[in-house]
Amino acid sequence: MMDSLILRTGVRLLLPLMLLFSIFILWRGHNEPGGGFVGGLICAVGFALHALAFGVRAMRLLLKVDPRTVLGAGLLVGILPGFVGGLLSGAPYMTSQWLGAVGTPLLFDIGVYLVVVGAILTMVETLMEEGED
Amino acid sequence: MNAWLTAAPILIPMLTAALCMVAWKHPVVQRGLSLLGSIALVAAGGALLSIVLNQGIQVVQMGAWAAPFGITLVADPLSALMVLIAAVMGFCVALHALGDIDPVREKGGHHAVFQILMTGVCGAFVTGDLFNLYVWFEVMLISSFVLLSLGGLREQIDAAIKYVAINMVATACLLLAVALLYGVTGTLNMADLSIRVPEVPNQPVISAIAVLFIIAFGMKAALFPFFFWLPATYHTPSVAVQAIFAGLLTKVGVYALMRVFTLIFTGDSGWTHGILMVMAGITMIVGVLGSLAARDLNRAWSWQVVAHIGSMVMGLAIATPLALAAAAFYMVHDIIVKTNLFLGAGLVRRLAGGSTDYARLGGLFKTAPWLCLLLFVPLGSLAGFPPLSGFWGKLLLVRAGLETEHYVMVGLLLVTGLLTIWLVGRVWAEMVWKAPAEPPAMAISTLSFGRTYLLILPLLLLSLITVSIGLQPERLLNLAGQVGHSLTDTSAYVQAVLGTTPSPQPTLLGALETEAMP
Amino acid sequence: MTVFLETCLAVSVGLVAIALVLTAIRVLRGPTEGDRIVAIDLFGVLAVAMIAIFAIWLGEQVFLDAAIALALVAFFGTIAYARFVEHKAALKAKEPSDG
Repeated sequence: MMDSLILRTGVRLLLPLMLLFSIFILWRGHNEPGGGFVGGLICAVGFALHALAFGVRAMRLLLKVDPRTVLGAGLLVGILPGFVGGLLSGAPYMTSQWLGAVGTPLLFDIGVYLVVVGAILTMVETLMEEGED
Repeated sequence: MNAWLTAAPILIPMLTAALCMVAWKHPVVQRGLSLLGSIALVAAGGALLSIVLNQGIQVVQMGAWAAPFGITLVADPLSALMVLIAAVMGFCVALHALGDIDPVREKGGHHAVFQILMTGVCGAFVTGDLFNLYVWFEVMLISSFVLLSLGGLREQIDAAIKYVAINMVATACLLLAVALLYGVTGTLNMADLSIRVPEVPNQPVISAIAVLFIIAFGMKAALFPFFFWLPATYHTPSVAVQAIFAGLLTKVGVYALMRVFTLIFTGDSGWTHGILMVMAGITMIVGVLGSLAARDLNRAWSWQVVAHIGSMVMGLAIATPLALAAAAFYMVHDIIVKTNLFLGAGLVRRLAGGSTDYARLGGLFKTAPWLCLLLFVPLGSLAGFPPLSGFWGKLLLVRAGLETEHYVMVGLLLVTGLLTIWLVGRVWAEMVWKAPAEPPAMAISTLSFGRTYLLILPLLLLSLITVSIGLQPERLLNLAGQVGHSLTDTSAYVQAVLGTTPSPQPTLLGALETEAMP
Repeated sequence: MTVFLETCLAVSVGLVAIALVLTAIRVLRGPTEGDRIVAIDLFGVLAVAMIAIFAIWLGEQVFLDAAIALALVAFFGTIAYARFVEHKAALKAKEPSDG
């Protein structure tokens, strides 16, 4: 934890901005460069900055859930949409199904996003807890 | 339905891993999930093998993208056989882990990561796409790194860093080889490659790429010049992890070699298969000498893993249907025996209170006569005593070698076999018959009843499989024969993946640019 | 695109490239940790500038998004490094006999 007023104020302003931008990148990954992986990285960096400024415990309070749970949920969200096509029309695994502009590939990307956030924050948490003790 | 069965070896362990991670805080739930997932995988593997044998090669195109463009999953006899064996090993080791794994490692996520490792292994077996194969190798690398370092002892971290360093080099080589091959042919679908590669005008380039593949997969499989990382790392993690590493991981490298050098690189076989032959011969001798020099049970078995990789690659290098069948048979036998040996060594260490230096062991026959009987099966099979499975594997290899007049290789194989018998004899004499140096620190009976069974049951199961293969080799021999046949005549594989319509000539990037230019 | 703009872009690419090299040298040599931290931060800013120039040059809008992303996360490395230095100083202060 760093006792810096500048950093704390900056992070307070930046975190929402980064989360918004990460979601924008996730959504844009649909047709243009971007996607779950990059978006997840940006989101994770936002939270990691918060951990640097306010400490790991504050970040955990902000995140509400264990990052590992985020990781597991992300994996599930990534895997399950692949079955939808099979259930509807017997198509092979990962065949995309669309409902307007929203489809299973988007769900898959959200899964990737969550996996990246979960994995990076698990690492950040483990490494920084070691440093703070 | 069949399409889903082909994808099941990947989907089942992946789902299990995801569920295990969601239940991160509840080890009991994870245990149940791990066991259920392993059983489901065995069932899927068995069903897949029977379908492949009855209805021919199974193919599924992920996301319904047509063959050379999307990712294809293929289950031919070799893939299906390997998936089934891997699933059985996964089940046995998961069972053993329930009794053996300590709470720290369990909290660290052993079950979830183990299932991810199984995803990688099964994925590598069923994929029909070279880049996808690379991805599964990466999945295996990352999960095995986590499994190696779980527990966090200094010795473990040391081994894990060595392991990752060498595997990063291997993966980089593999990626380079895949990229070069894509640059030359414009496709990475293995069936498509088997058509395109002979059409490439610049054949020496193909031979060079083939050598890169030998290096990359050779490191993974621990072949001769690249084997040194294996004995340095395999003795450090928990018993369950050792067993699955020794049983499966190197064999995935051998499987990849078998797939690539029977399907894609068959044009310059004098050169590529010659290299493989030399590497196989030296690997056998170096491995068995190393195992004789080691005084520690785990290290000796690690060297034995290396030695027997050589035998399988010898079968691949001879490349007749009989030799390939022998290699497949030997691989099945070796996976079962090595997993069994490492699980057994773990039990012996438990009995001896932490040591596996076999000169200091002794009196096992007095403390645990039943365990001795169980251990005799994998040891005897390793040495190749008839009628256990190792004998049939060696017999097939020797016959294949003699038929093609590879007398030196047959000689090396027999010398390796003799030295292995020596090792087994020495271990048996020191460990079982010798009077104990000091009273055993801990008897197996001090464990709770349930845990004892969890530890013994996988050994019993694996030994039973070894014995039943040995007493009734016809079924596996037939199966191996089918594998050998399908690997030498790959037209069925190509037909199944690409269908009847030949794919359009791929547009190379270079060609696109020259066309666009005015 | 006017000739003037094109010349400006070419010159600025050259200048930023030289600055990147100089900064890299500072990161490698930097006698103190403080020098390195400042140099790494500068490196991030220069990279953002480089991407922005290329966005104008090639007329690719998507590059700007990459620049925004990099600008948002680039100083994370700086802060993490600074924290590491602070942490090390705190450890040293705790055991003055060490080192």
